[in-house]
Amino acid sequence: MADAHAHFDESEAALIVRGAWNADAASVLPDLAGKPVRVLDGAGVARLDTNGAWLLLNSVRPRPDAPLPELRGFQPHHLSLLRLVDKHGAAAAPLPSPPRLGVRALTGQGAHAVWGHLAGLLDFIGRLSIELFSLAARPGAWRWREFGAQVRDIFVGAIPIVFAMLFLLGVVFAYLLGDQARRYGANIFVVDGLLAAILREISPVIVAVLVAGRTGAAITAQIGTMKVTEEVDAIRTLGLSPLAVLVVPRMLALVLAMPLLVFIGNAAGIFGGMVVAKEQLDISFHMFLDRTADVLLLKTLLVGLGKAPVFAIFIALIACRMGLSVTRDARSVGAHTTSTVVQSLVAIIILNAIFAVMFVRLEI
Amino acid sequence: MAESVIDVRGVSTSLGGHAIHRDLSLSVARGEVIALIGGSGTGKSVLLREIIGLLRPQAGHIELFGQSVWDATPEQMNALRRRFGVLFQDGALFSSLTVEDNVATPLFEHTALPRPTCRQLARLKLALVGLPDDAAKKRPSELSGGMRKRVALARALALDPELLFLDEPTSGLDPISARTFDHLIRLLADSLGLTVFLVTHDLDTLFSIIDRVIVLSNGRVLGSGTIEALKHIDDPWLRDYFAARASREGIAHGS
Repeated sequence: MADAHAHFDESEAALIVRGAWNADAASVLPDLAGKPVRVLDGAGVARLDTNGAWLLLNSVRPRPDAPLPELRGFQPHHLSLLRLVDKHGAAAAPLPSPPRLGVRALTGQGAHAVWGHLAGLLDFIGRLSIELFSLAARPGAWRWREFGAQVRDIFVGAIPIVFAMLFLLGVVFAYLLGDQARRYGANIFVVDGLLAAILREISPVIVAVLVAGRTGAAITAQIGTMKVTEEVDAIRTLGLSPLAVLVVPRMLALVLAMPLLVFIGNAAGIFGGMVVAKEQLDISFHMFLDRTADVLLLKTLLVGLGKAPVFAIFIALIACRMGLSVTRDARSVGAHTTSTVVQSLVAIIILNAIFAVMFVRLEI
Repeated sequence: MAESVIDVRGVSTSLGGHAIHRDLSLSVARGEVIALIGGSGTGKSVLLREIIGLLRPQAGHIELFGQSVWDATPEQMNALRRRFGVLFQDGALFSSLTVEDNVATPLFEHTALPRPTCRQLARLKLALVGLPDDAAKKRPSELSGGMRKRVALARALALDPELLFLDEPTSGLDPISARTFDHLIRLLADSLGLTVFLVTHDLDTLFSIIDRVIVLSNGRVLGSGTIEALKHIDDPWLRDYFAARASREGIAHGS
């Protein structure tokens, strides 16, 4: 097949083209530099497609609405193709690019988006509360099987990772505390410090972070994919509430599983501390546990365990809401899953700070 | 006889130990609009996937434009792919791209044109398939089913193929949109000089825009020709098939 050729005849202002004209022919078009073209000569054109026709027409006139030059020598079916492309050519005019936004506009948009998130979350909490009240009146409508499956996924599946993480954090903490305490001969006070740190702060926060990354992301991706495949709509048309079927079992499973995971984290963290205390500080397991029994207050344990369900509620709210607000395209699932993890982490840190201030004021 | 664009010779396929095609042969000439019909499970879509190089038959020879599909080097196959377009059954649009970028993607990948030019050509294609201007910047999920089919058709046409494969182009469309889409295909086939090979269940498509129908049955081509010619073939499935149309017309006329 002949390649495309084009040259510009200055004397009669004619663009003479021949060969096969398709999308690849753009490179052979001469630079006309604004010179008017009065004749387009296509006697030598062997093949022409819509891409080639558009490139030709686009090159011989300054604007899509300018009159066509004289078309000379084209075969009849090439001519009708040129006319067809010309008829639809106006649609291919370049669109004005969207205006670039300044810093203030972007800040405004960001603030608006955050406000939208908060308002949406509030709305979701309201609808979920109504659902919970109506479910409380009809215990038969509880989805026990779904609840059980969620507890298994969220709790049992997370035990190994929670144990491993908190054990290592216990080791690190005991090691750093021990290094300081040993200088003052205050070895045994490592136990006091370790217990307070692990039980009150580290275990609840780290478990919440792990659950947000592990379960929160999974919930959003799962509900989001169900939204894409219209399963959520199917649930609604069957006369069921997506909140009752999807959200409530997940939320309750999280509320149940989180304190249990925090308790396992406590045990793992203390065990890690015990190992280091024995190796580095010559505190035997027996001494460690005796000291624990002496200094550990019930409220220290309860403060840590009490934070867990609050974190759980927020992770579940954020994850389920983001899942249900997925739109029907592939990118949306990814974007919403990311957003769930980020929002959950921010919520955990903020809630933890609020708890810390609150407990100090209440002298707990 | 005009130059043949699709040439299938002696193709045999079995999937999961179940024979689908037995020594099947057919050919399509340049400029024809051909429909492939047959009952469920007769391997229409399988044959389509074999012709476009997605699924390898156990035996036989398939040629597109005189080039064997299954003996082609990757470079030859890529050159071949530029000469045909495929419209998949449910559109298979990229959900995270805008409509315009969906259509421009083949141009981005296969031509040296600058991106703004590719987008302009994409919008020319969208205009050719009859989509309004404001659809270009939308996402596929914001369009109706009929509009998504048109976008998919525009994407199949992006590189100006000589041959167009359509898998159930009107499935999932309401009868009015389906007829409009049929006529759009015929209009484009005539004005762009396309060869069209479509797999369909839609009788109205057959009666309105098709030059020649190929019927698959029992793994072979049962018959091929115009609808009038096919009505004389004595085959229970084919009789029921056309009877369905006749009874529908009866209902329409009776009311």
